[in-house]
Amino acid sequence: MTWNSFFDISTMAHRHLLFAYAAVLVIQGGYCGWIAWNWFRTKDPRH
Amino acid sequence: MEQRTPTLRNVAWLWFGIAIAVLVVGFRQAIFLTPTDAAQGDVGRTFYYHVPIAMLSLLFPYLNFAASLAYLFWRKRDPLKALTADAFALASAEVAVVYASITLITGSDWGRAAWGIWWAWDARLTSMLLLWLLYVSYLMLRQFSSTGQSQTLAAVLSIFAAADVPIVYMSIRWWRTQHPAPVFGGGPNAGMDKSMLPAFFWNLAGWAIWGIFILLFRFALERRRQIAEQEAALQAIEASLETTK
Amino acid sequence: MTYLRHVLDHLGKDIRLEWRSRDSINGMLFFSLLVVVVFGLAFDPTSYPTLTRQISGGILWVALLFASITALNQSWARELRNQVLEAQRMAPSPASALFLGKALANMLFVLVVEAVLAPIFIVFFNLHVLGNIWVLALVLPLGTWALVVNGTFFAALGLRARNRELLLPLLLLPISLPAVLAMVQATTGVLTADLDPIQIATWIKQLAGYDIIFTTICILLFETVLNAE
Repeated sequence: MTWNSFFDISTMAHRHLLFAYAAVLVIQGGYCGWIAWNWFRTKDPRH
Repeated sequence: MEQRTPTLRNVAWLWFGIAIAVLVVGFRQAIFLTPTDAAQGDVGRTFYYHVPIAMLSLLFPYLNFAASLAYLFWRKRDPLKALTADAFALASAEVAVVYASITLITGSDWGRAAWGIWWAWDARLTSMLLLWLLYVSYLMLRQFSSTGQSQTLAAVLSIFAAADVPIVYMSIRWWRTQHPAPVFGGGPNAGMDKSMLPAFFWNLAGWAIWGIFILLFRFALERRRQIAEQEAALQAIEASLETTK
Repeated sequence: MTYLRHVLDHLGKDIRLEWRSRDSINGMLFFSLLVVVVFGLAFDPTSYPTLTRQISGGILWVALLFASITALNQSWARELRNQVLEAQRMAPSPASALFLGKALANMLFVLVVEAVLAPIFIVFFNLHVLGNIWVLALVLPLGTWALVVNGTFFAALGLRARNRELLLPLLLLPISLPAVLAMVQATTGVLTADLDPIQIATWIKQLAGYDIIFTTICILLFETVLNAE
């Protein structure tokens, strides 16, 4: 597979593959981002 | 946490970097280097993300169970240790739900593309769905119960959930032995070809390292929140003492 | 023996209180009847007798599940008034005796509802049981106990929660799913005679095992929940 064929959305198979990988990255990244956002919102106990 | 030094922060960043690096290698292996599956075509590459994450999602519930037991043990004996155990229990439950959600979503998506159906009530999928439901109900209990109680109640629920997981697995398997149904992901004979192993192991390692990172990150956030809450409570008490002087 | 006496005291208290107002039982009975009617309209059972037999097990247990949830929520409500719960905590009897007494009382109420509901169900759904109907006399109590024991426990869990009524089904349903599977499969197996006796016996054994495991866990952990503050 190449980058071009990975982002090729013409066939259902490729769309689903792209969706699966994108979903994983979005969910994990989103969760990590949520934690990070809350991290900066909570007061640092040392200061 | 008062003793947290820059070293710990550096280790955290290093671990994060390693996780990303391994995941990038895994991605390259899965998408570009592994030959296309003969039976399923390119959509079979979903395997390399779906299966490692599915395997890892079975690990975090055990961590939650252990932490809940530790919480109940230390609750009366050493409240500070109990609080730490509770933070770990919450973090592991959340990460379990994240990993299980990904398993269900990618599994359903893969099933639609490869076998034509969005869902099948087969043993593996149904057990995973029930696992997801159990730990979402754990998180709901934490959200809805009144503060002061929620930690103990959640720990108790965690014991119920942990007892239920093997029961769920056995009963659903027996059900599907009685009423066979389409099985997602091929039958039990669908093995892995040698050419699939590098991509599989790189992604397994990558998501495991990431899982540890995100678990400890969430744990640290919860500890931070707990300590901030304790400080606020302490300040409120001191303020009330001031006024009575 | 004193433990048994404590359990019977609590059981007697709950039955007496319920008998005086008959809130729960009336509510449960009418609710179950309504559910049966709704399902009757939804599935048109008399036109499809074979299909009806296949889904009746599921419909019966879903109706009972929702009916018992309405009653379970209320069963602890009478402990909250007049600070009765604090008095219970200070009483010398073990906390698990309180739990068992209440669970047995709830069991009794739901069994009464089942006894009334089953004939109505058979009439409205034109049910002709193909298997051995006496096996149902074993499945119904075992299945009911599985729902009631966990339901009474989780209703106590949510006592001081914000959304108490909402929390019970959210907690009870996921945990009960293996038991629900077993009771529905056993009931449907008897109704349709599709399963041979060994398979039905296996489901019943699973249900009994589930009952034993979770009754034990509930008894052991109730003290922790009662003193959760």
